[in-house]
Amino acid sequence: MSLMGTPAVVMDNGTGLTKLGFAGNDSPSYVFPTAIATSSKVGQGSNSKSLLVLLKRGLEDLDFSIGYEALSAASGPNYNLSYPIKHGQIENWDHMERFWEASIFKYLRCEPEDHYFLLTEPPLNPPENRENVAEIMFESFNCAGLYIAVQAVLALAASWTSSKVQDRSLTGTVIDSGDGVTHVIPVAEGYVIGGAIKNIPLAGRDITTFIQSLLRDRGEADSSLQTAEKIKQQFCYVCPDIVKEFRKFDEYPQEKFAQYVVEYADKNKNKVVDVGYERFLAPEIFFNPEICSSDFLTPLPTVVDQVIQASPIDVRKKLYKNIVLSGGSTMFKDFGRRLQRDLKTLVNERIEASERLSGVKSTGVDVLVISHKRQRNAVWFGGSLLAQTSEFKSYCFTKHDYDERGPSIVRNFSLFSVP
Amino acid sequence: MSQSLKPYLTAVRASLTAAICLEDFSSQLVERHNIPEIEVDNGHNPELILNPMVIARNENEKILIEASVNSVRISIKIKQADEIEQILVHKFTRFLEARAENFFILRRVPLKGYDISFLVTNFHTEEMLKSKLVDFIIEFMEDVDKEISEMKLFLNARARVIAEAYLIPFD
Amino acid sequence: MMLQIDPKNLLIQKTLTETIFPEGDSGSPKSLDRIISDFDYTNYHISTLPDNKDLLLISLYLKCWTDLAQYGVEKYLSTKYAPFSEYLTVLTGNDIETSFNFSMVLNLENLNSLGSEEVKLAIIDELALLKRNAMASAFEKAFARYDELAATYADSNTYSEEVQAELQKEQVLVINYRESDESIYIKPSFDRVTVVFLTIFQDETDKIFGKVFLQEFVDARRRSVQTAPQVLYSHKDPPLDIQSVALSSNDENKGYITFVLFPRHLVKGDRRENCITHVQFFRNYFHYHIKCSKAYMHSRMRLRVKEYLKVLKRAQPEAVDEDGKAIDNRKTASGRRFEVGRV
Repeated sequence: MSLMGTPAVVMDNGTGLTKLGFAGNDSPSYVFPTAIATSSKVGQGSNSKSLLVLLKRGLEDLDFSIGYEALSAASGPNYNLSYPIKHGQIENWDHMERFWEASIFKYLRCEPEDHYFLLTEPPLNPPENRENVAEIMFESFNCAGLYIAVQAVLALAASWTSSKVQDRSLTGTVIDSGDGVTHVIPVAEGYVIGGAIKNIPLAGRDITTFIQSLLRDRGEADSSLQTAEKIKQQFCYVCPDIVKEFRKFDEYPQEKFAQYVVEYADKNKNKVVDVGYERFLAPEIFFNPEICSSDFLTPLPTVVDQVIQASPIDVRKKLYKNIVLSGGSTMFKDFGRRLQRDLKTLVNERIEASERLSGVKSTGVDVLVISHKRQRNAVWFGGSLLAQTSEFKSYCFTKHDYDERGPSIVRNFSLFSVP
Repeated sequence: MSQSLKPYLTAVRASLTAAICLEDFSSQLVERHNIPEIEVDNGHNPELILNPMVIARNENEKILIEASVNSVRISIKIKQADEIEQILVHKFTRFLEARAENFFILRRVPLKGYDISFLVTNFHTEEMLKSKLVDFIIEFMEDVDKEISEMKLFLNARARVIAEAYLIPFD
Repeated sequence: MMLQIDPKNLLIQKTLTETIFPEGDSGSPKSLDRIISDFDYTNYHISTLPDNKDLLLISLYLKCWTDLAQYGVEKYLSTKYAPFSEYLTVLTGNDIETSFNFSMVLNLENLNSLGSEEVKLAIIDELALLKRNAMASAFEKAFARYDELAATYADSNTYSEEVQAELQKEQVLVINYRESDESIYIKPSFDRVTVVFLTIFQDETDKIFGKVFLQEFVDARRRSVQTAPQVLYSHKDPPLDIQSVALSSNDENKGYITFVLFPRHLVKGDRRENCITHVQFFRNYFHYHIKCSKAYMHSRMRLRVKEYLKVLKRAQPEAVDEDGKAIDNRKTASGRRFEVGRV
């Protein structure tokens, strides 16, 4: 692999988390919050050492930290925390530029002149934003080459590792659920069908707070967000039917109820938290939103159905047949199975109704939800998969192209086809 | 503001105010077209073009005002004393030109021999206040020199700190 | 604040720490297969052996390995990692992973059962310094030669022409550390070691910013840091010391930066080690800061664009205020409104 030269850098900057790493790896090297802590005071160096005082002069733009370091720096009085990405799109370019600066030089430790870069963008990103990204990557960092891919398309590519996928097409429906928002994005031949995208205001954070509220209602010994987060990750699953599941809990309490131990540095202070119905109730908010939300009431399978119905008729069958999950909040056990069952019911009802009305027999619609091992960081993994191919560089624009033709070159990237 | 800058800017302001006197004018060459006459090549319609005017503070700092019946092109040469200022001016004007859409009157490409060009058409003057447009150009001219020299100062200061920070730990 | 380039590779450190101190239940060791990169086309591959997950294979690829091999890098690294020989085996010959230059095997089982926490941390630290250590071999060799020369000429008249001629002929160590002929030259003498970096600027801005930076490097010693190494800078043509090995070229984008290290920087022990670490990261440090300055310039320019747009907004009668709300109360003296937009 060294013969191929330096590995491409894959950076997936999301609203909440950033994933950084090198192409060819099966998971990102770093996953940390897309947060930056910048100096809030100007030049009150209290250090006695002359070197440090000297260096304090005019270096405010280097005085920052990112990721988890930023979170801890911001807990002190001298730094302000900010999130440069809002709703998937870069809002603060100054902060984002410095975020990348630290990502590249400190965390990934590479000279951008020597590496090709794959960056991701949300669907419907304005082309001006792409140009700004190119301006930073090429002018500030002189990066060797750049490719900007749409996140949903990478998520589709990531599903190719699943054994359920037979043809490696870039047509499918992506359900991307991270911390803040859940998107349902139809993609046809590598292009996002913009008009049909739908967002659901329920995602990981809502599940966590829902668990927290259940813990509080019961008066558990510890009902912090961290505890709720851990319980979500370790105990939650999707059940086929809530009524039956409640009954199961009553019949077999030994098997179903669990306990979570909150560990402290001092072992004697450990607290024990009972884990009950929230195990299956929390993820249920995707399928029965009314249990936690009062303003959004459409279940996820219905939203997916609406999205596909809003897409052009000639791709609908393919969209039903290739529903791909991406993001941490789709990781619950049996999430895909339940989604597939509910969606199938909806589709079958419609087919029956249409057969009844028209009297013509339908050829049927396959509904297939694909879950795979790389689901959590599917977007990053898809990027890694594409960027490690030998053709990758030919799809990129190089520094030379940029210098020759200016930022507008990045408005169009050719689509990937991986053999 | 230095001694010679003020009369320079005063002259520019007066000339711009006089030059930006535009009316809607359909193309005489192409039916149903309405294009800024100053941008038409070869001067097919000499009666529509006024005499261009150069106001120069010195040979490195000047402004070219080319007026026509429905458009004025204003090209500015910004002071560049050395190669550092050259590259900074180049970077800065390119950065602005990349965002030309937001600036309405900024041209994406400057006229040859100048660093930055503006194109004001009758459509701009119909939607915007002429005196304020002139104010904008004057403010830009005033500010750009200051900004370039501040950037240069920053670069020198940064270079000094970085050099010292590298060399001190050897000892 | 990131001012200096850390000689350690943070990602190696993180990867090994996670492997050696696994979080949560430490059941059977997980299999691992990671590609890691570093400055100057350096690649690492850290992977568990397929037949035994307790053995971790750590391989290094370095652009300038063939050059370093002449200066005894293999021997140097073996010595460097010898203190950990209980857990760490240096591979030789055909055992080295294909398309890498240097491989080691870390025995996780031994380390976990026998190694104290201190040893574990020391191993992680030293492995994170792998690239630094490999590059150091050439410097060590040159510095050792300086020790020899200093001893030889201790009592001679070093101003005599014969001695000068002899020293002039001293072999120059060349390390082609990057692609496109960027090289490091090291020339030992009896009272100094000269290190020359040849670097290439990727674009016009870098070249000019670079010149400003280098001028300050040259001046810094005169101005404030008298005890620092002497710095010289030349554009296009190589300095006299290395003209025997570096061809003069007409490439506008080339720059030669010379560091003259004096005996005070070469004192054996920590100071010498520190000097080796510090000087070898010069190029990375230098180009990193050029890029940071460019990023800062971008911030400034964004601010200016915002300011200019504000000024231009005043020209629009339907101007919006700071919050983006339309100000619709502009009226003429007679109470009429401005005509907005063309009809």
